Amino acid sequence: MTMRVECHPVLGNLENQRRITIYYDDQAYQAYEGDTIASAMMAEGVKTLRYHEVSGKGRGVYCNIGHCFECRVCVNEEKIVRACLTPVSEGMRIHSLS
Amino acid sequence: MVVKSDDNKIICRCEEVSLGTIKDIVHHFHCSSREVKLRTRAGMGYCGGRICRTIIEKVVQDINNEKVSNESQLSYRPPIRPVTFGQLGGSENDDES
Amino acid sequence: MSDLLIIGAGPAGLSAAIAAAEEGLSVTVIDEFPKAGGRLLGQLHQEPNGEWWNGIQKGEQLSQRAHQLGVTIQCEVSVYDISQSKNGWEVYTTRGEYKAEKLLLATGATESPIPVKGWTLPGVMTIGAAQIMGNVHRVKPGNSCIIIGANVLSMAIANELKLCGVNVKEIIIPKADITSNEAGNPEQVLSSLMRLTHLAPTPILRQLGKIGKMVHPKIAIRLFPKKGIRMFDIPLRLKTAALEIVGDRFATGVRTVNIKANGEIDHTSEKVVDADFVCIAGGLTPLSELASIIGCSFKYIPELGGHVPVHNEQMQTNIPGLYVAGNITGIESAKVAMAQGRVAGLAIAADITNDWEQMETSINKAIENVNITRDKALIQFHPGISDARKKFYQKSEVNLTQISKIKKREA
Ligand SMILES: Cc1cc2nc3c(=O)[nH]c(=O)nc-3n(C[C@H](O)[C@H](O)[C@H](O)COP(=O)(O)OP(=O)(O)OC[C@H]3O[C@@H](n4cnc5c(N)ncnc54)[C@H](O)[C@@H]3O)c2cc1C
Ligand code: FES
Ligand code: FES
Repeated sequence: MTMRVECHPVLGNLENQRRITIYYDDQAYQAYEGDTIASAMMAEGVKTLRYHEVSGKGRGVYCNIGHCFECRVCVNEEKIVRACLTPVSEGMRIHSLS
Repeated sequence: MVVKSDDNKIICRCEEVSLGTIKDIVHHFHCSSREVKLRTRAGMGYCGGRICRTIIEKVVQDINNEKVSNESQLSYRPPIRPVTFGQLGGSENDDES
Repeated sequence: MSDLLIIGAGPAGLSAAIAAAEEGLSVTVIDEFPKAGGRLLGQLHQEPNGEWWNGIQKGEQLSQRAHQLGVTIQCEVSVYDISQSKNGWEVYTTRGEYKAEKLLLATGATESPIPVKGWTLPGVMTIGAAQIMGNVHRVKPGNSCIIIGANVLSMAIANELKLCGVNVKEIIIPKADITSNEAGNPEQVLSSLMRLTHLAPTPILRQLGKIGKMVHPKIAIRLFPKKGIRMFDIPLRLKTAALEIVGDRFATGVRTVNIKANGEIDHTSEKVVDADFVCIAGGLTPLSELASIIGCSFKYIPELGGHVPVHNEQMQTNIPGLYVAGNITGIESAKVAMAQGRVAGLAIAADITNDWEQMETSINKAIENVNITRDKALIQFHPGISDARKKFYQKSEVNLTQISKIKKREA
């Protein structure tokens, strides 16, 4: 399932997007170069990016511009980043936080 | 018109503080938004209060019957984005934990 | 060390960079978003002449011009603290420290929340988040959505989501309570829409604007159909309120209820409307946290969207060497932000060269252009912006470098 807006009446069509592979919680996903982690996961229909550290409830993208920190994920087992501000790269390994 | 069941809705997303908790604290201690913050942690989460602060101030002002003032009670403190010790030491690393 | 460091590569920051670089300043712009352009990037609406305002293109034009002039633009840099030193400013970021003689804050706006029960579920996002997902990243957050919050921004973005192929089921309002009052009061929502939209970029909004000139909102909301009216085929339902967002692991719909003109709830009408995602549209407020930690004075001005750092028409704050431009000074359209950016860029150039007299004409012309752009703005976020600005600037407590200079000259 992809949620890409490949065709758009005003913005035109997406063409020649370079595809790359990323891993979210050890599962492989296709992303487009230029995606943020948030948009790549959203395109694949993954809405939950982390679990609240106390209640354990799922959380996902809320503001998409870096203000709310709801989308934070762990990248390559070292850095915690905001998924909505972080571009994907080939082979990137992303883990959800809980 | 406020239905009681609304009180369990979350106001501060980061710290999962409900409307009811904030209201109870204000009624019980007749306090300011700053004190609400200290007593409930509402506004002290990862986002630095960016998301919830206006609502917290509004709820407190409404209950206390105050007008919005020019200087906000819940002022921001650095760092306004979470940083690591590495960054505070000046190293170039964009970890946000 | 640059002459000028600009925080925020939106329309205001980039326009300021261009103006300052044209005057020969060395300029660096930093931004935490991966692409330059700020919130311009998501914008897509039709102008009265039928042309599309394509924010991605506008943003690219601005960045290109800035590059040509030798401006350094660095993205993925988050500012977390600032301090003032003898020689200027030290700015602490996730990519190290930046130094500059003058500092411009062009950090834009943030979306105000409307806490609705269930709003922390994945699949609930701000209306701006959905706009950026669709128009910038070209990803739909889902196939169908419900928008909670009826204002100029949510109506414009509803249409943009539709262009992305999203079925926007309805625009409704939050249930009135202590956290939502105006946004949850049908009469006030309609009244605000009617006052704001005589110039709006959509025919139905303009229609509301015209009606607003003839009928009192009190009467209009009584006449407003329970089923809502259609705007680009999207139902605008000011007499339907959101009780809660439902869903187990993620949002699957909204429990709604009909309300009367006075806000009274008809409990028999309660039902769940399904949707893949839910947008919260609480409006915009200036993002002024950096001004706050530096110690700027603030004024609360509802017409400008909340607390704004005290500044004058030349965009100087009450702290010497610190300037502001764009939505941090009040919520207005991108065109106004660009015009303000130009003023700031020129004023900073005058400040650095200490040659206000030389620059006076061009600065005044740029200020005049802000006022003209403001008066012609298609999208006004709050009623009464122009008047509020005028009053604010007349009373401005900022002691202008150039005013004191001009006065000296006159004396
Ligand atoms: C989500 C959203 C959607 C909007 N949609 C529309 C619309 O459709 N039509 C319309 O007319 N107006 C819209 N606006 C209003 C918009 O604010 C203005 O049109 C215009 O973009 C303001 O320009 P600016 O340059 O002041 O700020 P922005 O365009 O907001 O640019 C500010 C930049 O500063 C950066 N920044 C902020 N803080 C930091 C920090 N600490 N460190 C590093 N970088 C930082 C941000 O990443 C951002 O890129 C929207 C605003 C928002 C918030
Ligand atoms: S979604 Fe808000 S910070 Fe990423
Ligand atoms: S939402 Fe309250 S601190 Fe983040």
